[in-house]
Amino acid sequence: MNIINYFKKEEWSPYVAGAGLGIVGILAVFLADSLLGASGAYENIIGWVGQAVAPATFDNMYFNYVMPPGISNGVILLIGIFFGGMLGALSSGTFKIRTNDNPQWNKMMGKTTWKRWLLLFVGAIILEYGAGIAGGCTSGLAISGGMLLAPSAFIFITGMFISGIIIVRIIYKDNY
Amino acid sequence: MNTIIILLVGLTFGFLLNKSGMTKYSKIVNVFRFTDMGVLQFMMTALVVAMSGLYGLKAVGLVTFPNVPATYIVGNLVGGLIFGVGMAVAGFCPGTCVAGAGEGKLDYLVPGVLGFLTGAAIYGLTYQTVFPAISSIANSGAAIIPELWNVNAFLFIILFTVLTLVLFYLIERGGWQRHKEV
Repeated sequence: MNIINYFKKEEWSPYVAGAGLGIVGILAVFLADSLLGASGAYENIIGWVGQAVAPATFDNMYFNYVMPPGISNGVILLIGIFFGGMLGALSSGTFKIRTNDNPQWNKMMGKTTWKRWLLLFVGAIILEYGAGIAGGCTSGLAISGGMLLAPSAFIFITGMFISGIIIVRIIYKDNY
Repeated sequence: MNTIIILLVGLTFGFLLNKSGMTKYSKIVNVFRFTDMGVLQFMMTALVVAMSGLYGLKAVGLVTFPNVPATYIVGNLVGGLIFGVGMAVAGFCPGTCVAGAGEGKLDYLVPGVLGFLTGAAIYGLTYQTVFPAISSIANSGAAIIPELWNVNAFLFIILFTVLTLVLFYLIERGGWQRHKEV
């Protein structure tokens, strides 16, 4: 298989994609003195919106000093991630505006779109809150911290797998 | 200049999240069912490559490390436990949600992104009552394992690599990946 065909493939070997991500992690530090991350960018954005819409509420220590509002490097990175995902989907011809596209979800949780939207909305809130307490998410803490050999990354990954396994067991019951 | 580099880094990152299949609900959830270990294979490979490269470059003086994510055992663990609940329910994480949104998934673009922003607001508004308390327990600051355990970084990386390869072997050949349809 030549390299162009491999780029057009919908799914790569996790080892090839993982090695690529490792190189991206190195380049982020080497070229831009920054780490990969995602959860922090949402804080920058909501602080920015919040201080414009409800200045009194969002005028606190956190949004003023810990996660200053505005277009941070993290937000730029997030914009890149969005278009990167788009590029990946376009390359394999899988780009399509759609909802409820996952067969496993539809089988387990049903095809009702509003139910999926509600669960994803709640799930995202939980994820972001957890990331806040932990000090980062899968990219900002697990990958970025792990590659620098920060103990926090490995503690976080352990926690994530423990509760992930428990909750999926509960949701899937006999289908686990 | 820096902005363009960061945009390109994000672009490549998002592209790889798509190609690795991490933007799919089933890919994320099935690692917790041990029926598709792709998430672990992807993450561990990235860690081995990145830690080898970064500590190598640091040894020859080509990079200085940016801020190391802080270690405060209880907070890192509790945060991870909460995070895992969200992952199990939604089947995405903050980065893969945005990459998936770029693929045209409205489920990720609308309730996904709005949920993360809502979570960010709730966290930011409750930060003062939650974070200082939990992060003050067993806090080692920007610690790294080589300094904390007084172990040679390369020795640790070699050990980590060997353990990772053993894990991959067990996944591929040792039956650590189950075969079960839903």
